[in-house]
Amino acid sequence: MFKLIIKMAWKNSFLRLSRTLLVITMIAVSMSMMIGIQGLYDGMTANMIDKNKRSDSGDVALYEKEYRVEKELKNTIKNANEIKGAIENRAGVEAVVSRVRAEGLASTARKSSFAMINGINLSEEEHFGVFSDFLKEGALSLEKRDALVGIELAKTLKLRVGSKIIFSTQDSSGEINSLALKVSGIVQTTNISLDNSAIFMDREKLHAFLGTLPSEATQIAIKSSKEGLHKALKLKYPELDVKSFLELQPMMKQMQDMMTIFNSITFFIVMSVVFVGILGVMYVSVLDRIREFGIMLSIGMQYRYIRVQIFLEALFVGLTGYIFGATLGAFLLLYLRDYGIDLSAFADAMQSFGYETTVHGTIKISYFTTTFLAIMSASFLSVLIPLRKIKNLNPIEVIKAEK
Amino acid sequence: MFQLALKNILFYRGRSITTAVLTFVSTMLFIIFVSIQDGSHKSMLENSLKIYTGAIEIYHKEYRDTGGNEYLIEDVKTITDKLSEIEDIEAFAGRYETYGLLSSREHSAASMISGIDPAKERVLSSLKEARREGEFLSENSGNCLYMGAELVKKLHLKMGDEVAFVGSASDNSFAADILKLCGVFKTGLFEFDGSTSFINRSYFDSLMSAQNRASYITIKLKNMDDAQRVNSEILKLLNDDALESLTWKTLMKTLVEAMEVDSIFGYISLSLFFVVIFFVIMIYGFVNVSSRIREFGVLRCIGLSGANIFRLLFYEIFVLSSLAVVLATPIAGFLCYYFQLHPIVIEGMAEMYRDYGVVSDAIPLNFDIFTILWNLGVIYILNFLSIVYPYFYINSFKPIEASRHV
Repeated sequence: MFKLIIKMAWKNSFLRLSRTLLVITMIAVSMSMMIGIQGLYDGMTANMIDKNKRSDSGDVALYEKEYRVEKELKNTIKNANEIKGAIENRAGVEAVVSRVRAEGLASTARKSSFAMINGINLSEEEHFGVFSDFLKEGALSLEKRDALVGIELAKTLKLRVGSKIIFSTQDSSGEINSLALKVSGIVQTTNISLDNSAIFMDREKLHAFLGTLPSEATQIAIKSSKEGLHKALKLKYPELDVKSFLELQPMMKQMQDMMTIFNSITFFIVMSVVFVGILGVMYVSVLDRIREFGIMLSIGMQYRYIRVQIFLEALFVGLTGYIFGATLGAFLLLYLRDYGIDLSAFADAMQSFGYETTVHGTIKISYFTTTFLAIMSASFLSVLIPLRKIKNLNPIEVIKAEK
Repeated sequence: MFQLALKNILFYRGRSITTAVLTFVSTMLFIIFVSIQDGSHKSMLENSLKIYTGAIEIYHKEYRDTGGNEYLIEDVKTITDKLSEIEDIEAFAGRYETYGLLSSREHSAASMISGIDPAKERVLSSLKEARREGEFLSENSGNCLYMGAELVKKLHLKMGDEVAFVGSASDNSFAADILKLCGVFKTGLFEFDGSTSFINRSYFDSLMSAQNRASYITIKLKNMDDAQRVNSEILKLLNDDALESLTWKTLMKTLVEAMEVDSIFGYISLSLFFVVIFFVIMIYGFVNVSSRIREFGVLRCIGLSGANIFRLLFYEIFVLSSLAVVLATPIAGFLCYYFQLHPIVIEGMAEMYRDYGVVSDAIPLNFDIFTILWNLGVIYILNFLSIVYPYFYINSFKPIEASRHV
């Protein structure tokens, strides 16, 4: 019996081909657009978070208690090397870097700007966050007096690879000191504050310039996906300021939350409208065949079989739409992930707001599973009203009635 | 034909109500969405322009690209005399900007120090209104500094404290002085508040040997919308190839671009809703038409042409769209107008997005008749497009065939 019902449902689903194709197209186009947009927006946020972690704080970062309030050299972690070594040996820790940072004035012969010098160890940074990925121009070198400069700072100071800059700041003894550097490369981390003001130089040389000890650091950043590491480090180092990425970057958390809310609202509205579309077609499809259902009931077919048949019809249409939509959406997401959207025409704006000029999408299985559930639910719910109509039928009257 | 359309609308109530409701929703959504987008962009731009940047600024051609003291504007007075002849200019002033190191007893920080004319700056910018402590500069404020709140924090200064300034003068000689903190401002632009100080122009000119020279001349217009026209007038009047006059669109290129990008993403999101709603309206139209094939067949048999059928469908969708639009537009328009006067306030938004130059928690909507009209135009076009496929479908039947259709 069920085999017959399935066969009838399948045939009836495509009885009015144009109408069914329109519904399938509606589902496919709206679904692929929706998951494309979700993937693009999620990809932009995820990319920003990933690069911010890799270029700066990692998943957890440690500072001296006062450092984040007063960013001065007196507030460095004194035994940074020892702490770094201990953290490196913890299970689940993928990489640890220590950095020293000072604010000051960067000047060329013609221009000056506020800048922040960062003492880093290139091989540590490569292991920590694949620093070479950030290089936009020049070479990744911190040899001799080489320095890497943030892309926005380079624009402000009109720097090119090979340009010379003077960085002036107060050293650890309170004296104003200057240092001549040569730009070996320009980097884009998509971390707004680094891109706007960072100069990267060799950590040991910066220690010597600032008069700080090589064992000191202003920041220890940890890369680890281990749950509970943040809490454990907080307990282990109560004298330090231990912060998770989202504590340090509440804006990122808010952006992520806003994106989730936006995507959920979009999803709900789109699915509601899709539901209205399927409902219209299913309702008319049932009304068109009301005599047919009357005959089926009067020759003894039970209502529950008709109900199953109509449910199946709606589900077949929904499923076909979903398959087309998922395929189209998957191609769209793959394209967005691999090629992205080139917004280099708006390069200045994108870079100053911490985005790359080509924005890439991301692919999550949840896009397909949630959409599947939503479309199937919409299809299922869309036949409830038509089914009520059939349930209240008087078969004889319906058969007698003129079509 | 119009009466027949009205009759059909009343007869096929399900389709009529669905089409009208969906059009109502999309009209509301479109008008309010565009209004929020335009409102927040306008507010960001106005805030930025109000704070410091002028509607038009005049530079030496090489100053912005190359920089350096040899590209300062010389003989500012001659230029400003010419500017006084232009009626649409409300105020103008030369500013001299330089970077230097400021040091308090124990702390140092880099700062952009700008020499301004306090009296003119009261009209040109909102620096005076941004005062949080102490006094704004005056003609007699001498070595007084008016400093950004974040910079004051960095240098651990209190009102009246002395600060050492070290920089290079306009003739490339070494310049140093002891300055005094007299006022603190907070604009909300984090970077600006953390790196900028202002000083009386006449005092700074003698320190920096910058008399009658300026980094640029900033201009405030009576009406911002005239920027392009006035700019052409200025260029004509200056008649100097070494100078360039730029409007805010060029000066704030990054912000303008950012707003364009934001608009692009906004319209991408909005297009999703429109596509879905368009399909549903088309599906209902199609279902309606396909259940009236016989009726259309009979109409064709009694002499109605294909164009008449199209007119019939057009009148139906026009009436339904107009009904929804007439209801939605005043409601959406009122909401836009109300929230333009009483902006939506999201507490903490400015603090959260300070890196992005957001200086206010308020999001005003933008009420603009022209914008609403083009929004309505798009809604009408989409609705009209939704009858194209049903029309071709019904036209694919021959009149006799259609009149016998079951």
